[in-house]
Amino acid sequence: MPLVRPDATPFIESPSGVPDLETLYRTHAPTVARWAARLAGPLVDIDDLVHEIFLVVRRRLPEFRGEAKVTTWLYRITERVALESRRKDRFRRWFSRARHFEIERTIAPTHLTPVDEVERRQSSETVYRILDRLPAKYRNVLILFELEELSGEQIATLTGLKPATVWVHLHRARVRFVAEMKRDSERRT
Amino acid sequence: MKKPRGRQTEAEERMPIRHRWRAQPPGDSDEARAGTLLRSAAAVQPFGARNLAEVAARLRSRERHLSRKWAWQIAIAVGLLLFGGAVSAAVMHFLRVASVGPALPDTPVSMPTSKTVRRRHMLVAQPFVPAVSPAPEAPLVPGSTEEKSESLPVKASIESPPAPLANPSALAQESRLLAGAIHKLRQERNPGRALAMLDQHRARFGANGALEPEAKVTRIEALLRLGRHDQALGLLDAQTLTAAGVGREMLVARAELRAEKGRCGAALNDFNLLLAAEAPPDLVTQRAMYGRATCRAQQGDWAGARSDLEHYLARFPKGRFADQARAAMGK
Repeated sequence: MPLVRPDATPFIESPSGVPDLETLYRTHAPTVARWAARLAGPLVDIDDLVHEIFLVVRRRLPEFRGEAKVTTWLYRITERVALESRRKDRFRRWFSRARHFEIERTIAPTHLTPVDEVERRQSSETVYRILDRLPAKYRNVLILFELEELSGEQIATLTGLKPATVWVHLHRARVRFVAEMKRDSERRT
Repeated sequence: MKKPRGRQTEAEERMPIRHRWRAQPPGDSDEARAGTLLRSAAAVQPFGARNLAEVAARLRSRERHLSRKWAWQIAIAVGLLLFGGAVSAAVMHFLRVASVGPALPDTPVSMPTSKTVRRRHMLVAQPFVPAVSPAPEAPLVPGSTEEKSESLPVKASIESPPAPLANPSALAQESRLLAGAIHKLRQERNPGRALAMLDQHRARFGANGALEPEAKVTRIEALLRLGRHDQALGLLDAQTLTAAGVGREMLVARAELRAEKGRCGAALNDFNLLLAAEAPPDLVTQRAMYGRATCRAQQGDWAGARSDLEHYLARFPKGRFADQARAAMGK
């Protein structure tokens, strides 16, 4: 099944040598969506986020000269948009807490919802709560290594960091993650 | 000589990591616990052909998106202007009150010092603390606070409007107590302590507190988090609920709890009430549709249950209960 209808109007004209938006979208959207889901966490609307990312891609495509790998360029945009989305989401959650009551989340654990699904969702929220307390550079490297299962070299290519820097960030991210995990579990007991 | 950083030296930090935490078998070590947690967060919903087509369509209608963005920006600008105007008006009001001075017949007239001006600002500003804002003249109501009645006895008696319906300071206290309970419940995830604060609220303000409805919803939420479903259901059973606003969430909660207790007849009433009202495509509607199917199935109404599940899948093909619905229908 084609991802985008072949007769669909291209989003923009393709400048010579640089991929046009439609090709980029068709080739990379699923990967970008996965990065975005991992970086932004479980509470975002992934369609909205991918839409935002490709709006930025469309805006900045004329500046792309092919000096960096397309995936690296797309990853950097994804990282920035996901970061912005997390900021907005934090604000939105704070605002909605003041506005209405969250019965829905509370009552989810009834017999109508499978317990394991609820536990999975709660654990996932815990992971992102802990990750959110890490500096972005450590957080993102840890996500790419542990969740996206990329190698150090792949992370280096994607982020534009030196491989040695990736390992340093990863070691420090792990130390902080464990510390925050302990703090989180103490806070909850 | 490289300087150690915590437990690891810089040289150690540059060493590649060979094993992922996620690959660790479950255990009590920090790494194993982290691995268990990370495994739970590893799954992401696939971005399928449907999502691709939807986002592609949105990208093509860029103009609509931009016009929405402009509308937001204009709304924010107007909001800021209004807020700025309100702040300026409030400042002007305070300055006017300060410049008029006490003007009490039985007190000597004196120029207000900066200290007295500040004091008066505090007196005027205090009643604006509660969530329900009193009218600007409210601070002059006798008995609204003890301080005010001592400071401005004559002025208060001359200018006092009819007695307000609620004592602002009592309302502020009630609001603070309830906000504390909500904080314990949501931020600190301590439903036990939240419940204790809600008991304090009840002891102090009784069933006639101005914020009693909010306190009741918070109590129900705390009881649910504590797993005390019977007590939560007892409270919900006593409510007259409508399928609007927060009532929808309460209604679906009550229906699910009733179903859980095997009271499917009563649960069906609630589910029907929810689904008869205009049902937006949100999770409450999903829960109501799926819940009604479950109840109907429990009562042996297979045709009704099947019809509900078919409607559910048609409306929410990727909904929270879509997999269970498909499994129930053998799809």
